[in-house]
Amino acid sequence: MTGAAGGLGGRIGERLAAAGHELVLVDLDPDVERVAAAQGARGVVADLTKPEGVKAVVEAAGTEVGVLVNNAGITRDARTVNMTEANFAAVIEINLTAAIRLTLALEPRFVEGASVVNMSSRASLGNFGQANYSASKAGLVGFGRALAQHWAPRVRVNAVAPSLVDTPMTQAMPPEVLAKLVAKIPAGRIGTPDDIAGIVAFLALPDAAYITGQVIYACGGRTVAP
Amino acid sequence: MSDLFVLRQGPLGDDPGAVTRALTEAFVAVREALEARRPVVIGVTAGDLLGQGGPLDAAVATGLLGMVRALEIEGAKAGWRINVVAGPGLAEDGEKQEFGVAPVDEAADEEDPVALTIAMLAESELTGQLLQVGGANLGKLPA
Repeated sequence: MTGAAGGLGGRIGERLAAAGHELVLVDLDPDVERVAAAQGARGVVADLTKPEGVKAVVEAAGTEVGVLVNNAGITRDARTVNMTEANFAAVIEINLTAAIRLTLALEPRFVEGASVVNMSSRASLGNFGQANYSASKAGLVGFGRALAQHWAPRVRVNAVAPSLVDTPMTQAMPPEVLAKLVAKIPAGRIGTPDDIAGIVAFLALPDAAYITGQVIYACGGRTVAP
Repeated sequence: MSDLFVLRQGPLGDDPGAVTRALTEAFVAVREALEARRPVVIGVTAGDLLGQGGPLDAAVATGLLGMVRALEIEGAKAGWRINVVAGPGLAEDGEKQEFGVAPVDEAADEEDPVALTIAMLAESELTGQLLQVGGANLGKLPA
């Protein structure tokens, strides 16, 4: 799993470990080694925008890969008129293109029945000040749809699209802004890392063997609200 | 006809780096057009939106749609008009469709339903929409 040192990534790792998966946790943040050690997993510090970073992860993953969770992501929010080309490209490169590179590089190592889970976002349907992030997360959806067809029936590919999740990133938002956003969620609350981790863990299980090419919007009903 | 800006997605090949380049170039070109108060239409191949083509082409097609939806939300007050037209095989005729090209004159081709849709959007107040031309729909098997 990539992006494993973050709040959401850490919880997903715990759920996958509890389900019996032998994990390789990847992040640019060196803290991933501490997170991995706590879970009895292997930690890899890698920059997935660099060929050597992808190579290090592929080597660490071994010859048989059952699950890949593409969770690494950044935000560089700005109004479109103020968004720099560099910040647009950086978000695309890390959130989308790096996931593409790693997924394609691991293709020969996926076992029969393997599951790829791409962490998309409700923002793939559009969000103010997030032209870059929306494009990157929507791009993951299309990439997954195509791979699901190319790699079926050997490998399943799905996406999870959370809305607001209670992580250090959202905790840093001004409380009044966060409250306004939460008020638009029919479920009446912010999502928890457990809400999302449970779905990822499910998609990795044989129980989800008939699900591929799909997006699960884990957003408390936000996509259907005005 | 208004000063429509049309941007069409072309085939990417198999270099993942082309995904970042294509989306970034599209963003820069589209923003310039919107800031110049030009309505924008992005043309993609419907099969790419559905994941029925190559994985990289699909990533760019859906990425463009996500970007358009964000720009529509952001530009609502400013009056930006930006839409996506998904048609059958926009780039299947062998001609390389470059980003940034504005083939407005294609709208005069009455035999081309994609061009007609694009021409309609030039005069429309619609924004943030995906218009599908042809029979492609999510869940429908390709012919």
